[in-house]
Order: sequence, then C-alpha cells, then structure tokens
Amino acid sequence: MKTLMLSCLVLWSAAAFGQSFFFDSADPPSDFAPVVPGVSIAFPQDHAAHSDFRLEWWYLTGNLVDEQGRDWGVQWTLFRQALDASPSQKGWSNSQMWMGHAAVTTPDGHRFAQRLSRGGIGQAGVSLEDGFSAWIDDWRWRSDTPEMLPARLNFALDDMQVSLELESSGPFILQGDQGFSQKAAGGQASYYYSLPYIRIVGSVTTSNGVHALAGEGWLDREWSSQPLSDGQLGWDWFSLHLEAGEKLMVYQLRDRSGAHWLSGTWIDAQGRVQKLNGDEINLNPRERRELSVRPDTRIELPLDWVISLPRLGREIRITPLYDNQWMATAISYWEGVVIAQDSTGKRIGRGYMELTGYQ
Amino acid sequence: MRLKGVSLRSLCWVVKALISHYWYRPWQTLFLLSGLIAGVALWSGVQIVNEQARTSYADAGQMLGSQASFWVEHDNDGGIPTSLYLRIRQAGVLDLFPVVEFSVRSNEGKRLSILATDLMVVPGDGAFSSENPVQSSRDWLSFIQPPYQAWFDAETAEALNIAGGQQLELDDGRRLPPALIRQSAEQGGRVVMDLGAAKSLTGSEQFNYLAVGPLTPEARTKLESLLPVGFRLVENEQHLDLKELTQSLHTHLDAMSLLSFAVGLFIVFNAVRFSLLYRRHTFMNLRLLGCGTAEIATALIIETLIWSLIGAGAGYALGVLLAQALMPGVSASLQGLYGATLKSVVDVKGTTLLLTWLITLGGLIWALFWPLLLQSRRAALVASRDSQQARDSRNADRFQAGLAALLVLVALLTFTSIENSADGFVQLALILFAAAMALPLILRTSLTLFGRVIRTPRFIYRWALADAMAQLPMLRSAMMALLLALIANVGVGVLVDSFRLSFTDWLSKRQSADLYIRANKVDYNALVEEGLESGWLLSSHQRYLVDVRWQGMPAQVRGLNPNARDSRELPLAKWLGSSPQDALKRWGESSDAVLINEQLSYLAGVSLGDEVELVTDLGPKRFTVMGLFYDYGNPYYQFYLPDREFRQLWPNRNSSGIALWLNPQIEGVTDLAESALIARGLEPADWISQARIRVLSLSIFDQTFAITLVMNSLTLTVAAIALLASLLALMHQRMPQFAQWRAMGVTHLELFTLVLLPLLLFCALTWLISLPVGALLGWILIDTMNIVSFGWSMPIHWDVTPVLRLGAMVALIVLFTAGVVAIIWKRQLARSLAQIGELI
Repeated sequence: MKTLMLSCLVLWSAAAFGQSFFFDSADPPSDFAPVVPGVSIAFPQDHAAHSDFRLEWWYLTGNLVDEQGRDWGVQWTLFRQALDASPSQKGWSNSQMWMGHAAVTTPDGHRFAQRLSRGGIGQAGVSLEDGFSAWIDDWRWRSDTPEMLPARLNFALDDMQVSLELESSGPFILQGDQGFSQKAAGGQASYYYSLPYIRIVGSVTTSNGVHALAGEGWLDREWSSQPLSDGQLGWDWFSLHLEAGEKLMVYQLRDRSGAHWLSGTWIDAQGRVQKLNGDEINLNPRERRELSVRPDTRIELPLDWVISLPRLGREIRITPLYDNQWMATAISYWEGVVIAQDSTGKRIGRGYMELTGYQ
Repeated sequence: MRLKGVSLRSLCWVVKALISHYWYRPWQTLFLLSGLIAGVALWSGVQIVNEQARTSYADAGQMLGSQASFWVEHDNDGGIPTSLYLRIRQAGVLDLFPVVEFSVRSNEGKRLSILATDLMVVPGDGAFSSENPVQSSRDWLSFIQPPYQAWFDAETAEALNIAGGQQLELDDGRRLPPALIRQSAEQGGRVVMDLGAAKSLTGSEQFNYLAVGPLTPEARTKLESLLPVGFRLVENEQHLDLKELTQSLHTHLDAMSLLSFAVGLFIVFNAVRFSLLYRRHTFMNLRLLGCGTAEIATALIIETLIWSLIGAGAGYALGVLLAQALMPGVSASLQGLYGATLKSVVDVKGTTLLLTWLITLGGLIWALFWPLLLQSRRAALVASRDSQQARDSRNADRFQAGLAALLVLVALLTFTSIENSADGFVQLALILFAAAMALPLILRTSLTLFGRVIRTPRFIYRWALADAMAQLPMLRSAMMALLLALIANVGVGVLVDSFRLSFTDWLSKRQSADLYIRANKVDYNALVEEGLESGWLLSSHQRYLVDVRWQGMPAQVRGLNPNARDSRELPLAKWLGSSPQDALKRWGESSDAVLINEQLSYLAGVSLGDEVELVTDLGPKRFTVMGLFYDYGNPYYQFYLPDREFRQLWPNRNSSGIALWLNPQIEGVTDLAESALIARGLEPADWISQARIRVLSLSIFDQTFAITLVMNSLTLTVAAIALLASLLALMHQRMPQFAQWRAMGVTHLELFTLVLLPLLLFCALTWLISLPVGALLGWILIDTMNIVSFGWSMPIHWDVTPVLRLGAMVALIVLFTAGVVAIIWKRQLARSLAQIGELI
C-alpha cells in the first residue's frame, strides 16, 4: 500500500510551496545581524555564507557568444534565506532555506529553472572546506581552491546541460563604501562585492547538439538583513561589459514616493574604480512594452533604457537581446541579456539587466 | 404584444388562473412539491457525490502523476541513509523524495499510520492547495522545528478524539507532536509530519525508502548504477486507475438515485393526475371563455418551467445536504476498498445544478405538462365528466399493461447479452418499469376477480370493492411509486443480507489465524520453534505476496502454505477434481497449478483448466488453473501458489507477514503470544489480531451498504408519504359523499370499512407483487450485476424477515392513514354535508 499512502500526500509543488514564503521572515529584520559600515571584507572567508544575516546570494551572469557569433546569456544564482534569527543548527530543523535560479538565453528562446532546498541536511549550501563549493541538488559551483575562481560550474535545466569553466581576469571590487552598499536614506544597506572580470568558456548541450560558448561574466555577492526599506517596491539593476574594456554597474531602488535611490560603480579600461552617487546617474526608461508573464497575465515592463552619467559624459542606451527573458518562478522578475548602444545606435557593449518588483 | 395567437396580457391571466389552483389546494401543492423535491434531492445528492469523487480521482490522477513510479529500497528492510538520497539528487534525479513511515497505536488502542517526508521537495504540478497550512516562514518553522506538528485530517482527528494543539499519547508513552487539523481528506487517514519530527519519534536517521517519479530509461540506468550493493530500485507495478476501479460503486449509487428520482416523478405524476380532477373544470372554464389551446399550452409551459425551477433549486439544495451526509460513508468505503481518498467537503458545481434542472424539467414534462396538456385539449364539456375519466383510466391501464409486456419481452431478449453494468441497469430498469406499468391492470383485474369470487351477502363489501375500482384511477400512480420503492427494498435487502452472511462466513474461514505479524521483523523459524515448545502456538505460516500486472491490470500473486488451516479451508466456487479438498491437495503438491479468484473468471474470462502465464522474477511461467475461490470485494485479480513454488519463482521477495494460530486450550494464550513477540523486539504496532480485522472489514462493508440502505429507506418514506397525501386528498375530495352516506344511515364502522378495505386491498396486493419482483431484482443484482460490475458473486440468501418487516411497515402506513382519516372525519364530516352538490 505504499503507493496509496504516497498518493495521499498533499500535493504541493516545490515551487509554489517554498517560494510563497521565501523572502518572508518569521522574525523582524532587526533581530538579524545588522549591516554596518566599517566592516572589512576579506577573501576567501567572505565567500562563504553569513548565516547571521537574513538574505544572501551568489550570483553569476555571463554574456557569451557561440561559434556562429550569436549572443547567448547565462545566469546562475544561489539564494540563501534565514527564516528566523536563531542560531543555525544542523539537521532537519535547520531554519535556513536555499533557492537556486538558473537561466539560459539562447538565440531561440529563454529557458529557466529553479531548485529549492531546506538547509542543514547537505542538500544545498556553500562550503570552503576542501575548496570552494556552492551547490543545490545537481547544480554545483566547484573550485579546487578556497577562492571562488577558478571554478567549474555545472547545472541542468530540463534537458539542457550547462558546463562552464570560470576564470578571473581581474580583481574583486568592493561596492559602495568598502563593501557597505547603502540602499536607502534610512540606512538600509547590504554588504556587496562583485567580480566583473570573469572569463567563461564552456558548452551548453541540448537535444539538438552541443554549443561551444565563450565570453565574459560578472559575479555579484551580496548579503544583508533588510535590503529594501518599507517604501521600496523593487529595483532595476544593470551590469555592462563595454567593448573598450570598461565596466559599469548601476541600480535604482524604486520608491513609492518617487524618490528613487540610485547608486553605481564605473570601472574604466585601466581598472580604476569610481563610485557613482545618485545625483551622478540618470536612469530613464525609454520604452515600455507588454510581456506575457503567465498564461493569462500580461504586464508592462520598461525594457529599453537610457543610462546617462553626466559627470563622465556618457550616455548608454540599453535594449534587451529580446523581450521575453522573464523568470516565471514564483518570485518572478525579468533578467536577461541586454545590448548597450551609444546615442547613434552603434553597439558598444553587452550586459545583463534585472527588473524586480513588477507584477 | 402578440405571440403566435397568444396575447401576453391574456396569457398572464391564464397563467394566474392555472397557478391559482395551487393556492387553493395547499395540500396538493405540498404533495407535488414534496414528491418533486424529494426525487430531485435524492438524485442530485448522489450526482454531487459521484461528481465529487470523479474530481477527486482527477486530482488524485495529478497527484498520482507525482505518485511513486519507483522506489529505492534496502534489500533487507534496512534504511536508506541521507547520503545516498543526496547522491541521487546530485546526479540529477530530482523527482524524488524521502519517506519515513511507520505504524503506531494510540493509548486507546487505535492504530494510525505516520507518514513523514520533506515537503519542500515533494514533486508536483503546482496544484497549490488553498488548505495549505504552511503559508509563511513561521508556519514552516513550526512544522520543522520542535515541538513540530502532526497533521491530521478532520475525520481521523475526530476518530481519535484529538483537537488542534493536542498531543496524542501512544500506547508506549511516546507523544505525537501537537496536532494541526486540516479539513481535507487528502491525507487518507494518515498523520503527516516532518522528517525531523519522525526522527525524534523513531530515533532513526534513515528513511524507509525513497519515492521516485517517472524515469526515462537512461535516467533509470543512471540511478541503478548509483545504488550500492544492498539497495535496489523497485518499479511500482500497481499504478492505480482509480476511476476504473471505483466505477462499480458509483454505478450502484447512480442506479439508486435514478430509482429515487423515478419515484419522485411518479409522485408528481400522481399529484397532477389528482389535480386533474380539479383542474379540468378550470380548463373547461378557460376554454369556454375563449382561450385557445395554444394559449393554454403556453401557460402550461410556464407553469412547468416555474415548477422545474422550484423543484431543481430546492431539490438541489437538499441534495447538497444529502451529499454532505453521504460523503463520509462513501469516502470511507472507497478508502477501505480501494485506498482512494475523497475530500469530505462538498463542492457545489454549476454544471451539476444545470443538469439537475434539465432532468427535472424533462421529468416534469412527462409528469406535469403532458397530462395537463392532454386534459386541456379534450373537448371542453366532454372532459368534465367523470365517466370520461373512468373510461380513460381503463384504456390507460390496458395500454400501460401492453407497454409493460413489451418491456418484459425486451428484458428477456436482452438478458443473455448483458456485458457491463450499464446493460445490467437497463435490465433492472426494464423490469422495474414493467412491473410498475402492469400494476394498475393487475390491481384492476384482481379487484374484478375478488368481486366475482367473493360472493358475500354483506353489501358493504361489494360496495367497498366497487368503490375501490372507482378509486383506482386516483391512486394508480401512488401505488406505482409504492411498488417501485417496495421492490427496491426487497431486492436490495436480499443483496445486502446475502452479502453480509457470506462475507462474515468467508471472513471467519479466510482470516482464521489469530495473529498476523506484519513484515519481516522477526526470525520466523526461531519464533515458531519457541511457540511450539512453549505450547501457545498451534500452527503458523508465512505469507508471501507480490504485486504484478497481468494483462495490463493490477494483480497479486500470493504464496500460501498448503498445509495451513486457512489454505485447507479455502472456499472454492469451482474446482478440478472430485472435491474441493482433493483439488486443494493436488494444488498444494503440484508445481504448476494455480488457484484464481472469481474476478479473474468473470472479468477476464479465465476458466478452470485454462493455462495462465505469470511473469515471475525468473521469467514467464505457465500454470494450470486448478480452482476458483470466492474473493468478495477484492478489486484486484489474485493468483494463489503454494509457498514453496512462490519462493522458487520469486527468490528475492521476503515474506510479507506471519500468520499465527494460537492454542485455544491455554488460558490467556493471546497475552503469552504477545509477550513472546515483544520479547523478540516487536512493537504492538507490528501485529494485528483477527478480531480487529473482522471488525474493520465488517465496518467497511457496513458503510458501503449503509448508503444504499439509506437511499432505500428514504425512497420508501417518500413513497409512503406520497401515498398518505394521495389518500388524504382523496378523502378530502370525497368528504361530501361520505357525509351523504352518513346521512343515509351508514354507520361509522361501515364507513370506515368502505374506506379502509380498498386501501388494504391495494397495499396488500402491491406488497405481494413486490415480493417476487423484488426477489428477481435481488437475484439479478447478485448473480448478474455483481459479477458484471465487480467480478464476483456469492450464494443468495433468502430471508423472510425483512419482507415481513416491509409488510408490517405497509400495514402501519395503512393504519396511520386510517387514524388520520378518522380524525378528519370527526372534525369535518358534519360540515361537509353542506357541500353536497357543489361543483368541485
């Protein structure tokens, strides 16, 4: 009667079940460890999980090109959330929850997948023992060194197998003020560092063959206990690799009142890092278009943007490789490959854009 | 506004005139209403239950999509370590979840199953239940952290007397986590908890098994290559198609509901016929005033529509209540028999309501619209005469009886070609309606015969007979309804009684061991040795069972010890050889003989002496069918082999349990045996005693048939009330006549006789007719329907008691009516005298 007993289990999808309360915490943010300025970030220790903080992620995006020169994109993120502020314990009662999101932007369409796991049992996690390892189920980021890179990243999306070799070609960048990245006037902040210089070589295997890919990637590492203030609805985030060798990261946290919080980092071709304040960035959506996000729902998203950095005299137009790169996971958002153009429309680079908080 | 010769204004008046009838005759209205609503309620109640079940199976089908297609198990009932589970996940097999399940007993002796898994990874298709108790992090943390939660469904909680937040105490002192009660029955009576909670109860770190979803051949090979020695991947060959399995139960319910609806319609028909008496004058007047037949017809359509809306609406509402009452019983039966689970809360569906209305409308067209239309079309003055009515009635009776004969002919012709339950029900319907239609003519003929045969000088009796003849047209439909209800009662009574007796008998023979020890937890040989030495054990055997698929249907092969008592006493329906014992002996000694259950014979056409091929672990093998055994209520095919053969052909299967016969001559032998078992490390949850099985099986049986019996009783009650209302209305109408007779000198007693005697005659005749037809019904239900629907039959048991009980009930109805009539007379007879000569 085993079959019958199991068929009597309540039917919940892994997706709908856990995600309904990912990002929802049993304890208020103030119970968790606070993000304060002046804390130094050191590697490789800070590559590991900071369990005292509520939310954390290891987030890679890759702009790749196949043998025919077509643009591809790859995204892989591992999220950790502490459901309550009590100290972590091993075993089934562990109060951490892990979620993995992965997506591949192929010339023929966008594919994505999700994984969900509870903490404490070894099904998902990040570890520095025996080399750096970040995994959830069959997705694994593995380095033989305690550093995050060089590493192998392997994950599967339905029938697609992705296998990438990652190598760093530049230094880690501490965002904000030595890693203290403020998000709102009230002091909400996160610890945030990135690695914009990643060389990626790998392949994507699908039912119709193997595609060899190569390109550049961007890693974001962030952890905090309260990433958004009460009035903030979501954010628009951009990371760009420009052909001249420059890198740009800008984001705006959209506030209900209209007083959005902007911040960014500009790295020139020589690797000099400049922090950009809110008044030095203009982020304007140029065109909104409708997108089908569920079988019966369409929403309007700002998909074309203009980023102007007056102090640097730069104006960059952003347009997605194609519109439908929506992550229809239960926490849903738009994340995909964008092409950067100058004001004449000439292509000057590529990157990733993330639009959250639009439902 | 004109509408094909009908002006709206005058139409309104006509409708008013017609409907005013109901206003002036509230009893008739009540009568019609009750019949209509009762019929609709009974029909729609069952429809709702059946619909609900079908939806649940569809949901379960989705659930069953996430049902385990495979299991990863340990060869020797050991556990699966977490590391293996994670390794399989890391290899990409994600449609996988770990399960811990075990049985416990509450301190009141009630047994429960505990099921624990990681809800975070249970695969599914996103049917997010609105009853999900986990809606936030806090909810999830309560589930996975001490003191944990134990999720009960409402019925189990009630059975165990547990309220939300309470911790159920077990018989060994342990306590379950605090209870959380969920309304839905999806858990099937199991208690669900998180793996951490289970671990704290069992102390074990390992899983009982891993449930795996569907695997492609490559995935399967990959998975098998990951399993170390000692672990295996087992395919689930028992994919259930719930809908098919449970079809029979629902067909039975459908039939009962249709019968009830028919009875309801008969009552409406009766009410209408009755009202024709009154309404023919209305029609006459309307016609004389100049209303055309088209206008009257339209007004009648409106009247019918109004009644259909009222009847469907109120009937459906009652039906919902009925469905709520029936659901737990149906749920329990389905769960007990097939393991299917249904939600116990009824979903109200628009389509069922629509269907109810359409059927009500259809029925009313026959019962209300048609007779009234016919009446309205008759030549105005001619129609108002009583004699015309009587003549009509005689013709109608003859016509109906002719129709009945036709139905019987059709029934006889199609009898041999019954192939499935639908055909069977058509047969039943033909017979039932034939009986009902023939009834008026039979009654009429009987009365005439009585008249000729009983030559009594007492005029009162001749008068009573003549009066009876005159009353016949009025009471026809009520009698037909009563007949239907009586036949159903008799027939189903035969079915249920036979079943119960055979079942009890069969249970005591088949399940005759005293203790059954589940699974493989104890050293069989050592236990038996000890038992025999200490003297408490009389005999024992190991039970072997494997689930297979035979010709695409789920089946079971059992290995039985041919020398064990229950094997030697296996009740065989058919056998090869001179006697059952001879056949059993030969089966026990042979290496290619098999015993099969009745289902295989009736549903799959396998006969004695045939060869069947079974796929064993060593490859396919052919067996000869040596005997056919009764296997009541089993939805699966069963093959029995001697256990020695079984072990050879399925060498890696472990026994599924041990049966022990205890020595009845030792005092307190059960305690001795149980202590011995505990001493060997078993827990009370690991064995079950025969008495308990008996009780369990009988309760499942009872619940299954309780529903049918309830429906039956309801139908009979409705018919009885209809009859009562009919009679009262009749009495009321004839009150002036009675008053006149009194005035002429008829005594109270004679008056009473005049009224009661026809009634008694009719009821007695109807009851008598219901007996053979009911017996026929019972026989068809058992020997044909059961075989065709379920695949098994049983010996028919004729018992006179329920029939007599029915007769007594009918007599009671008559007496009750008499009583009411007496009271009415006392009050109104004198006054009615004044109404003589009134045109009613």
